[in-house]
Amino acid sequence: MTWDLLLDLFAAQFGLWWVILPGILLGIVVGILPGFSPQNTLIMLLPLTLAVPVEQAFAFMVALYCANHLSGGVPAILVRIPGSGGAAATTLDGYPMTQKGQAQQALVLSFVASVFGGLITTLATLALLPWLSQIGLVLRSVEMVVVLLFGLTLIAVIAAKDTLKGLIAGFFGLLIGVIGTDHIYNAPRATFGFLELYDGVPIVAALIGLFAVSEALVMIEEKLIVAAEGRERAMRSNWSETLEGLRISLQKWWHIVWTAFVGLLIGVVPGAGASIAAFVAYQQSRMWSKHPELYGTGIPEGVIAPESANNGVTSGTLVPMMALGVPGGTTSAVMMIVLQYHGMVMGPQLFTTSPGLAYGVFVSMAVAYVFMIFTILPLARYMSRIVLIETTYLAPIIILVTIVAAFSERQYLFDMGLALVFGVIGYIAHKTNYHVTAMLIGIILGPLFERYLVRALRISEGDLMVLFSSTLGNTLWGLLVLSLALPFWRTWRQRKALAAERFGNES
Amino acid sequence: MSPDRSPLNRAPLGADLVIPALALGFAIYFFFSIADLAWEAKANGVLIGVVLIALIAVQLVRLGIRLARGEGDLRADPLWQPRDALWKRIGMVALTVVFIAALPWLGLTLTLLLAMLAALRVMGVRKLSTLLWVSSGVAAAAYLLFIATLESAFPHGPIERLLAALFT
Repeated sequence: MTWDLLLDLFAAQFGLWWVILPGILLGIVVGILPGFSPQNTLIMLLPLTLAVPVEQAFAFMVALYCANHLSGGVPAILVRIPGSGGAAATTLDGYPMTQKGQAQQALVLSFVASVFGGLITTLATLALLPWLSQIGLVLRSVEMVVVLLFGLTLIAVIAAKDTLKGLIAGFFGLLIGVIGTDHIYNAPRATFGFLELYDGVPIVAALIGLFAVSEALVMIEEKLIVAAEGRERAMRSNWSETLEGLRISLQKWWHIVWTAFVGLLIGVVPGAGASIAAFVAYQQSRMWSKHPELYGTGIPEGVIAPESANNGVTSGTLVPMMALGVPGGTTSAVMMIVLQYHGMVMGPQLFTTSPGLAYGVFVSMAVAYVFMIFTILPLARYMSRIVLIETTYLAPIIILVTIVAAFSERQYLFDMGLALVFGVIGYIAHKTNYHVTAMLIGIILGPLFERYLVRALRISEGDLMVLFSSTLGNTLWGLLVLSLALPFWRTWRQRKALAAERFGNES
Repeated sequence: MSPDRSPLNRAPLGADLVIPALALGFAIYFFFSIADLAWEAKANGVLIGVVLIALIAVQLVRLGIRLARGEGDLRADPLWQPRDALWKRIGMVALTVVFIAALPWLGLTLTLLLAMLAALRVMGVRKLSTLLWVSSGVAAAAYLLFIATLESAFPHGPIERLLAALFT
């Protein structure tokens, strides 16, 4: 790739502003509404994207996809309902910031981290594309089993205050994720006799139930989402809160950069996705922090890390599709259909036969991020006002409207009932600290985990020891055990220090 | 100084048992449902189920130890407290069940309008103008988004049929 080509591509993409802006606005709306996924929106818009020239179609799809990743954090921060699985980690510190009356600041932090995280990793992808495309090839089914278990364990350990409760919630979710027919014989498993469960548990119904419905049932207890001490600040928040958010974001620029790269590396692995990336970045951020005990109480780093990482994933997910012809997720699969319809053959040859289009996709992404910051930043002040609506109105609207949205994924009334069931389970989990995030991620990873596990076991003719047969896999197992043991070791050390202190005071 | 173990200061551990009980029940049902399947179809479920049951066993032992020490009892108070919110919660869940059941007959817009009216009443809104304004606003927005724009396959009722007749 030459500098001339790159500059031409940037100029051409800026010229497509009239396609990118509607894509961004639609992506923001779709991301905010739980139940609306970018892939479903792109499928509905296929008649449009197939009809226009491929460059315009791709600029639109990429803008929608990136804006969707960015705006999933908005409901996560304001009402603890992530717009998508990738924003689940944002609830951990974003919502406590809202409760403290800092919703506007949290939104600005999330927008800046998302945009710059996405932008930096997109530019890095352009430069490192040949090397990044190899990562997906290194990980085989055995390693993927450990990667997915590692991700789930991290989430259980991070999200829940009680590791054991987090693990129970995570594995409960993982087992729910196995509901449906198996991949080889199409034999139904644990479907309770419902035909609607043969395809597995719909993720949107689970997301809406576990987060939206359960949260609305919990918020009934209070008059406002914002805690009493933060109300005054939330009510008199003005543009200075946006500026303060910008200042903090600039101050923490390095945090944005390195967590975005965590997202990029995880995004390159097919199937791993934004939810794992966001949690790994959050965990790493907490691990390297000078004040890990403040995570979960509403601190800027706790919003920046997951948001930057889940936008770092956007360019990473497209790498296997462009370089290997393997879509990294459902959205990229829809994009691939559009490209193939226009006669493009994915894979390494794309960079020699159509370099303008191959690199243009990432340039388009970079340009979309530039447009995005100017589009969404001014909206933070107005979006944050939603938390001042009384729960008397907010709770019924959230429950009924999101239950309606549960219908949108598969168009079954059954899914609305299922969302309500998940809502009740989520409410019990909320009240007893079995973290719903771990449960949801388990449900998302369930089918993927099964695919890799069965593939590995078929290769070894059913021998479980295959899971310990590779050096990389064993290293990952070691890290998994370490991540499980570390919290217990920390608690033991704290208890020991406390006991020593008490003993010192008594003597 | 020994910890206060009077009944009022004991932790309500009964609530902590609900999710493990649900998970355990589901795992057992899962094992029954896969009993006759080929190993490829059940390997994953067995592996996850066994780990889940082991984790639940550890949790039960942990809770048992706390109960034996007198640190808690089997109350499940966190699930129904505060009491004044409990009836609102039950009302909202019951209303949602009725909403889903009525949807095929009344269509999305009318069912949502009536459900919103009832839900706001359950939540304590008494002012008629507010009830009507909020409910009709939500129903109209849902109609515009789901029926008019996205053409979702929601059941059509009298309002959808009337509007379709007017605009076609």
